[in-house]
Amino acid sequence: MFLASRNFCCRAIRTHQRRTDLLCRSIKHSTSATMPFRHKNTRRIEGLDSNVWVEFTKVAADPSIVNLGQGLPDISPPSYVKEELAKVAAVDRLNQYTRGFGHPSLVKALSQVYEKVCGRKIDPLTDILVTVGAYGSLFSTIQALIEEGDEVIIIEPFYDCYEPMVKMAGAKPVFIPLRCKKDGNSASSADWVLDPAELSNKFNSKTKAIILNTPHNPIGKVFTQEELQVIADLCIKHDTLCISDEVYEWLVYKGKKHIKIATLPGMWERTVTIGSAGKTYSVTGWKLGWSIGPEHLIKHLQVVHQNTLYTCPTPLQEALAQALWIDYRRMGDPDCYFYSLSRELQSKRDRMAQLLKEAGLKPVIPDGGYFMIVDVSTLNVDLSDVDEKQPYDYKFVRWMIASKKLSAIPLSAFCGPETKKQFEKYIRFCFIKKDSTLDAAEVILKNWNKQTG
Amino acid sequence: PHLKASNSLSHSLQAKMSRPVQARRLEGIDKNIWVEFVKLAATYSKVNLGQGFPDFPAPDFLTEAFSRALSGGNHMLHQYTRAFGHPPLVKVLAQFFEKLLGRDLDPMTNVMVTVGAYQALFCCFQALVDEGDEVIIIEPFFDCYEPMVKMAGGTPVFVPLRPNPPKDGKLMSSADWQLDPAELASKFSERTKAIVLNSPNNPLGKVFSREELGLIAELCVKHDVLCISDEVYEWLVYDGKQHIRMASLQGMWDRTVIIGSAGKTFSATGWKVGWVVGPDRLLKHVRTVHQNSVYHCATIAQEAVAQGFQRELMLYGKPESYFVQLPKELQQKRDWLVRSLDGVGMKPIIPEGTYFLVADISQFKSDVPDVPNSDEPYDHRFAKWMVKNKGLAAIPLSAFYSEAHKNNYTNFIRFCFAKEEATLKAANDILQKWKQEKTSS
Repeated sequence: MFLASRNFCCRAIRTHQRRTDLLCRSIKHSTSATMPFRHKNTRRIEGLDSNVWVEFTKVAADPSIVNLGQGLPDISPPSYVKEELAKVAAVDRLNQYTRGFGHPSLVKALSQVYEKVCGRKIDPLTDILVTVGAYGSLFSTIQALIEEGDEVIIIEPFYDCYEPMVKMAGAKPVFIPLRCKKDGNSASSADWVLDPAELSNKFNSKTKAIILNTPHNPIGKVFTQEELQVIADLCIKHDTLCISDEVYEWLVYKGKKHIKIATLPGMWERTVTIGSAGKTYSVTGWKLGWSIGPEHLIKHLQVVHQNTLYTCPTPLQEALAQALWIDYRRMGDPDCYFYSLSRELQSKRDRMAQLLKEAGLKPVIPDGGYFMIVDVSTLNVDLSDVDEKQPYDYKFVRWMIASKKLSAIPLSAFCGPETKKQFEKYIRFCFIKKDSTLDAAEVILKNWNKQTG
Repeated sequence: PHLKASNSLSHSLQAKMSRPVQARRLEGIDKNIWVEFVKLAATYSKVNLGQGFPDFPAPDFLTEAFSRALSGGNHMLHQYTRAFGHPPLVKVLAQFFEKLLGRDLDPMTNVMVTVGAYQALFCCFQALVDEGDEVIIIEPFFDCYEPMVKMAGGTPVFVPLRPNPPKDGKLMSSADWQLDPAELASKFSERTKAIVLNSPNNPLGKVFSREELGLIAELCVKHDVLCISDEVYEWLVYDGKQHIRMASLQGMWDRTVIIGSAGKTFSATGWKVGWVVGPDRLLKHVRTVHQNSVYHCATIAQEAVAQGFQRELMLYGKPESYFVQLPKELQQKRDWLVRSLDGVGMKPIIPEGTYFLVADISQFKSDVPDVPNSDEPYDHRFAKWMVKNKGLAAIPLSAFYSEAHKNNYTNFIRFCFAKEEATLKAANDILQKWKQEKTSS
């Protein structure tokens, strides 16, 4: 009603500047006073505004808190990686646009590295897309291949962006949890498995894709050949795509092997494999990632990319290409950073696990990645007087930050609505931290039991 | 029962396999002019005045800031920074735009950093344009607006700038290309969600006047329509003209998102640092898209751009300011190219801003014959022929028009003049030689 009368008022106005000004002023006043602003968020982002990181990365800004929360290395990237970027700064043309789908020297380097790993020819121009972090690859893949009416299987716990990205594409996330096969007494990430029958039941004619994350964040599970085969069999049977998030592919610990699901028979043509410079070289702030797969899938990701940000930064891509060449040339050598980083992290992993056990906590030792989940229920910290609506792990982390000056991430942030109860006794620690950070964590953990509450 | 199950499985498999694998949102947005023309330029061009990027270096103070950040020993610059923008950068952008807009800005809620202005545009369309919404686009337009509106499920509604050539036979100016007010008003409907404004305009170089902006503002306010204001060339304005910010007009701050680019501001297109400035009630939705698409932007370039802006804040308005020096330099290059083109019979439209210039090539038609019944607009064929046969790369103007209007203006091509003197001289040599060949043949 009010709208109609306002329009009527407007139609009568001439285009005389002074009257226009008066009109604008009166509309402004009436608009701000009583007119509801009709410009709300679009449907695609309804309910997607909140995010676990908003709260918990603010914490990181406080230097008095030992931050083992967000997956942010505080170790230095290898010096040659930093040097390559410094060299690039001096080259004029590298400050201007490069090829949209990926800087030529970078896609060439990626194709060489991954040809070696996968044992198959990879065309740098058609089988690869360079994106703004693996995050950007996930987004490009999902926007390219997923839409309303589709279902996407997500394994819980999951890196939290999968769910909102699937929803933003208009599709329905279908969750399946990893379950601890040892009656809740888990010592290793390998104890967490999918139930094959349960998994099979999640597939139907609407299942467009399954998102696989191996090595897994947050648990650190490295899926075995057999486990991957179960997933592959279902993908082939139901003609389902596989979005394989392998950002931690190089961070695999002794005795374990990272296997690419795309290398299993029948899987290359239906899999998009995602990698990350940030995780490979401890340069999360470079925000470079890549999607690798068959041309008939990658071409659609390229269309999304050309309509979203068009090209990624040139200097960083060039520096990354040079770093990859250095490591490509020594892929047979134990000094290759692809292997040396995981050796460095293994000792940090073991130290972290030891400290946690001594404090009375139950860590789940990860086979890969740089996160460790910990069962905190053993401490019996009573938080029942705190807001009941919040999951236990959220309350525990906030309490731990406030009283112990140590931060972590609550695991229920990585679960769908049905599973939150299952995981709310776990929190996630990040151990890609320099010795002094781990030393500070050690002090807190050793003193844990000395303080009350 | 087993047979029945497998029948229904193969039936549903067949249904799935007969559907295309890609999402419907990609329909009609797979073609891209740059993929073709960048390849052509890379293959054939001796002189590239096509794609819009400088071939002169980024300013020393900027590249030095980058080097300093790297050698500073703070290796945390290689890690994630704040997702919505590196604190030093959003702070200085807020300070800068406070000055320019004459209002207080909160760096945390009124500014967001993106991967180039391109990603800023994407986030704005995704955040604000729903299926069924109409978005007005002024032709000619930077080509990504149309596919981005479509990808968001919106319907682009086009309104052209129309050339009104001066009566005295002088060269046209980009100011001579204007909107018809009645025609513009007729494009606004109940379904109109937003209008995209690009001033200074790529490809024409038009700098919208206060009156022209006022016309658009009045309609936006009247119809409660948003304005997506692409101002990436805000500093590249010539002949003493002024870039006027739509958001500074009465009633417009609350309904405008302003897009900017470090690539254009600091001649470093490859850094891909852009931003959105606007009211929190619009920015919060733009932030939601950003956090669900790329989340963080690279840290080091943001650090260096922040330092670049800090320098410019101190030198604002002074002769040493890059924002004073760059347009001065580019104006000379513009004038050089204008003389060069005019000298061979191409008719340049003198741009008031940006580093692009559009020229009328009708006099060169003889070399590139008309092909009646061809789907390809003439200027397209002309530009391809020119790069292959003369080694000079430029972009056909029809690339900046909707499919329906591609054949309305087929005698124009766009040149980029953000180039070294040597490049512009080489372009002139090619043109002069070409002219001689034509007169002698």
